[in-house]
Amino acid sequence: MKILVVEDEQSLAEGLRFNLNAEGYETKIAPDGETALTLMLSDKEMFDAIVLDIMLPGIDGFEVAANLRQAGIYAPILMLTARGNAEDVLRGFESGADDYLSKPFELTIFLARIRGLLRRREWLKNEMPVEKPAEDSFSFNGKTINFQNLELKSGSETVRLTLMEAKLLRHLINKAGNTVSRKEILEDVWELHEDTDTRAIDNFIVRLRRYLEDDPTRPKHLLTVRGIGYRFLKS
Amino acid sequence: MLASNRRNLAIFFLVFGICLTTFAVALNVGWILLSLEQIALLVFGIIFFALIITGLILNTVFLFREIRRNEQHDAFINSVTHELKTPIASLRLYLETLKTRETDEEQRQKFYDTMLADTDRLHRMVEQVLFAGSTGDRRRRLHLSKIRLNNLLQDSNEAVRRRYGLDKTALDLQTDGEVRVRGDAQELQIAFTNLLDNAVKYSNAEVHVAVKVENVSEKQVEIQITDSGIGISQGELKRIFRRFYRVPGRAAQKVKGTGIGLSIVQAIIKKHGGRILAKSAGEGLGTTFIVRLPKA
Repeated sequence: MKILVVEDEQSLAEGLRFNLNAEGYETKIAPDGETALTLMLSDKEMFDAIVLDIMLPGIDGFEVAANLRQAGIYAPILMLTARGNAEDVLRGFESGADDYLSKPFELTIFLARIRGLLRRREWLKNEMPVEKPAEDSFSFNGKTINFQNLELKSGSETVRLTLMEAKLLRHLINKAGNTVSRKEILEDVWELHEDTDTRAIDNFIVRLRRYLEDDPTRPKHLLTVRGIGYRFLKS
Repeated sequence: MLASNRRNLAIFFLVFGICLTTFAVALNVGWILLSLEQIALLVFGIIFFALIITGLILNTVFLFREIRRNEQHDAFINSVTHELKTPIASLRLYLETLKTRETDEEQRQKFYDTMLADTDRLHRMVEQVLFAGSTGDRRRRLHLSKIRLNNLLQDSNEAVRRRYGLDKTALDLQTDGEVRVRGDAQELQIAFTNLLDNAVKYSNAEVHVAVKVENVSEKQVEIQITDSGIGISQGELKRIFRRFYRVPGRAAQKVKGTGIGLSIVQAIIKKHGGRILAKSAGEGLGTTFIVRLPKA
């Protein structure tokens, strides 16, 4: 397993590398966002997971994550943030990060998060539905969502989903027909237990509607339940 | 409230202020046209409207300044948070590593060195923030003594050289005989270390900083600190001494900083009866900081 650590603080980056190597991962360090993007976009080097600091010199972590996702690179991203406020965390998720950790962090938790990220694809593939059948692929309205390879097919068009988009979609599909509150989504999908601004979810929903709905301005499947949250309807 | 919400709200009020000003100007022109024949009404109306328009413009300008100040303040808080939490994160990581993993002696020594460098960095940041808080206090007293300037500059050079692991040729000190100044040794040390630290931080890959001491008159000594770094555009040269101000642009933003260093330096130099200014031929052409201090 190969992990990229994008961190400009040399001491922290070296400490992370030492520990990741000790766990058996091959580790590479990129001291800034530009180097990370060059490695992955120009040199086409592939990584199984990325540890990404937010406050980087030049291009910041949010921009790096967004560029990677835009270029179709879906390696799971663990974002490191010194500020640790909800705004940063949500912005990180919006730009394509899959998990976050506030500095300073416990080594055991950091390693657990890395293991979790590496496992998450598998976990997404194998997750057993709670209420309704949400199989490896789910079809409705001429569209097929493949949770195995995080793809959404609509006719000849294929859209790649991020882990968080897929996770949110699966959560709503599992609860099809029922209203799911924004708070519940924050807690169950993002694992954020703060009383925080929930608008990041709205942005995710806007994106998902663009993929799923024939007319995203008049949604028929991803419905807003005013003042509460969202409801998924198959037909 | 989220920063993006705050920004949207500020933009709304800015646009609102500009619209109101435009509306008031239009009303004024209308009033002039309607009251051309009644001089008294015309004069009263023009003065009245002029006052409203001035008020609106002043309000918009002050609002704009406040927004900018708030943004600088936010950026400062973010930088300080980052500068405080990063060495703590590093220290914790190395301590946990030493506690939980098998390491050989050489590795352990390397870890100890890293941890010491982290504590130094943490100490510097705390000192810097505390000092920035006290520079505005007029009752702040200096502990005056006669100081050998060359020795003080040599110590600052050495501290910065060690901090960045530079060789001796990177920081070059040229003196002009023995010069003594009357001042607070600790504060002057902070000022010159800050200037040298900036010179190294804003240098390109190859660091060459020249420190030149010159007796410009019987009463004054001039210290020039010249780097061959990213330089500063003419428009920014005066702003760089403002508290929380950071030069915009990709090259400068690549270097981490809080925006308080130069304001501290200026406060110290002023308190010692001296003055400081910056010169640069432009972006990419290096910068020279010139400090003049009264001799002892």
